[in-house]
Amino acid sequence: MDSSISFSEFDCLNNRRVKRVEKFLNDIGLDFPSSIENFVIAKDGDELIACGGLDGKVLKGIAVAPHRRGEGLILSIMTRLINIAYSKGIKDLFIFSTPNNTDLFEDCGFKLIENCDNEIILMENSNNLENYKKILLSKRKDGNTIGSIVMNANPFTLGHQYLVEQAAERSDWLHLFVVKEDLSEFKFKDRIDLIKKGVSHISNVTVHEGSDYIISNATFPTYFIKDKGKINELHAKLDLRIFRDHLAPALGITHRFVGTEPYCVVTNNYNKNMKKVLEEPNGASNPIEMVEIQRVEKDGKAISASRVREFLKVKNFNELEKIVPSSTLEFLKNI
Amino acid sequence: MSKIKKRAHAGTLESSDAFIEIEPIEEDKIKIELQSSVEEMYGDDIRELIKKVINELDISHISVKVQDKGALDYVIKARLQAAILRANDDEKIKWDKL
Repeated sequence: MDSSISFSEFDCLNNRRVKRVEKFLNDIGLDFPSSIENFVIAKDGDELIACGGLDGKVLKGIAVAPHRRGEGLILSIMTRLINIAYSKGIKDLFIFSTPNNTDLFEDCGFKLIENCDNEIILMENSNNLENYKKILLSKRKDGNTIGSIVMNANPFTLGHQYLVEQAAERSDWLHLFVVKEDLSEFKFKDRIDLIKKGVSHISNVTVHEGSDYIISNATFPTYFIKDKGKINELHAKLDLRIFRDHLAPALGITHRFVGTEPYCVVTNNYNKNMKKVLEEPNGASNPIEMVEIQRVEKDGKAISASRVREFLKVKNFNELEKIVPSSTLEFLKNI
Repeated sequence: MSKIKKRAHAGTLESSDAFIEIEPIEEDKIKIELQSSVEEMYGDDIRELIKKVINELDISHISVKVQDKGALDYVIKARLQAAILRANDDEKIKWDKL
């Protein structure tokens, strides 16, 4: 490699250098990804020739100037990014990319998780998905109709409870996944605890901890950005394909239940995509039937976790009592 | 036989080098996951070398993941030893064993 090439690392606070990376990516026709925390760049003299970034568990914005490809610059960039991640204690990494880059990242120790319609791929550097599937396999239950629900439950309301009851009634067994990411107002530990209490009267349900593979910041970052409609449809599709191709077969899931979504644009779009991605033949896995269950209303308005959070802000426990189970109410009173 | 204390890594992904990651595992064995640009010619030799280095340091219950980019054998040996020393936070390095 040419000795005039130098590498440097900096973080997102270094505005001047971040701007240079943004211009570099735009010049070669790539979008500058938001929320990168750490950057690595390669320069030849003063010319920026390659870059890469780290956002939590996800490597982003990895690019090499077209006239400098084939020199192995990407390997140096990747080594540095991996070192940064490891030194921050982040061991399990993900990359979103396009299918033509699969080989390139395989050479860096990443494995393909999902190739979604030749538009987007997700790769990881661990065996975590295989290990997670093994855990799920051990929790498999027999039956003709095996239902599933994925919920954040921020926090658990009577609406969630109704959805679980309806789904459990229509299933031989129901698998309930709780979004694990701690990016919501209520912590994962509290959310899953309230769900378990709120479904304890139902005998045919298993409550599973979510993972990086179900609506997580790693695989579906835009879910947590509340700006309306800013959801990335490709990420949504990818998330659902992982569910259909990997998680559902491990548990023998045949149905996925969701509540109708009157308020949240993000969730509404996600539900729209869901039907298509889960039900259409894709050549890789069996279709999963999606069932929408009408939301319960209280005083003419659908019960939602966002309403709970609003009432909680003003400590209106009289209203809260009408829309959350007693276990959730007790928790909210003790915050 | 001793176990390593934690996950560690050494090396780079660059040409003529190897990127080695190790971690402790439950099973009493040496688990090797090798991806090499010279797998066809030297894959088995590299696996033998890895086992030899680990046995010489009297270590068990270890998983080794290697991204090899055509590294010479002493490079692989040095990278693996470095990773093991890092995994154990060794302060008194037994140089005669390396």
